[in-house]
Amino acid sequence: MATTVPPPAAAAKVDYLNLPCPIPFEELHREAMMSLKPDLFEGMRFDFTKMLNQKFSLNHSVLMGPTEIPSQSTETIKIPTAHYEFGSTFIDHPRLLLWGRILTDGRLNARVKCDLSENLTFKANAQLTNEPHMSHGMINFDYKGNDYRTQFQLGNGALLGASYIQSVTQHLSLGGEVFWAGQHRKSGVGYAARYNTDKMVATGQVASTGMVLLSYVQKVSEKVSLASEFMCNYLSRDVTASFGYDYILRQCRLRGKIDSNGCVAAFLEERLNMGLNFILSAELDHRKKDYKFGFGLTVGE
Amino acid sequence: MADSVVSIQYLKDFVNSQIYDDEKWAFNVKLLRAAGLFAGSIVLMRNYGDLMAI
Repeated sequence: MATTVPPPAAAAKVDYLNLPCPIPFEELHREAMMSLKPDLFEGMRFDFTKMLNQKFSLNHSVLMGPTEIPSQSTETIKIPTAHYEFGSTFIDHPRLLLWGRILTDGRLNARVKCDLSENLTFKANAQLTNEPHMSHGMINFDYKGNDYRTQFQLGNGALLGASYIQSVTQHLSLGGEVFWAGQHRKSGVGYAARYNTDKMVATGQVASTGMVLLSYVQKVSEKVSLASEFMCNYLSRDVTASFGYDYILRQCRLRGKIDSNGCVAAFLEERLNMGLNFILSAELDHRKKDYKFGFGLTVGE
Repeated sequence: MADSVVSIQYLKDFVNSQIYDDEKWAFNVKLLRAAGLFAGSIVLMRNYGDLMAI
């Protein structure tokens, strides 16, 4: 009996007029950031979130531990501090988000995100302090097209910025940004590229400020990701590369990394019970001989 | 042929200036270490990444 050979599957034709919408320019490196930049801290941390109803929640945070202050010498200077932060969040999914946090030293952080239409989003954020000339505010308008995104930014100190990112193929997107800081009389331009498949994401970004940022994330399985990042600023002579892992398991999330400056870090979030998480943080800088350990508890969603 | 000799000399001068200047060499060592870690980690991830799966 003659066996029939199935015809080879035709390569899927790419419809260049129907490409997917790329991710926002500011989130280009998000997979690498999520795996390699956990919220490391030193000391004791306690977060409590109380949902008052489906849309509104209150948040209380306490952080006790040493805070580093910048110093001229190579030694790190730490001052023991204690913070209490009160915050509230209002989410009217998906159109409106209001978020605010205030600390005991008078610093206020606020964020607004509002969908003006299906494609146009308005975002604003502000950091207000008691110290003169240290408060900042910024507003963004984001427009989402079929296969492109564009953003326009306006900040205090005559800060103007714009970015654009376009899907070029099913996997590749290219983008660019420009900014102008009126107060400092500085301007800059940057270019970025992102290539992603189901198994990996590779991104690259260069800017006229002298920054080069490359990242690569390999999705080994549903639960495990490995990430690597290279950051170089040849104007400030600063180069760092880091390599890390991210294990997302049912009961915990474990992230760890090592970098080229001799710094090793790990961050563990363990789910003890529904709404109760235990967190451990460690950062060992062998070069500066600076060792930071932290522990904490997170209660609520 | 003369052009390529000139460019080789230019390259030699450039490499020497990067190696024998202390400040530049300190930066270049950091750059080589970081680039080696980045490239080596990508090779490791692509070839042996499945060993880390659970």
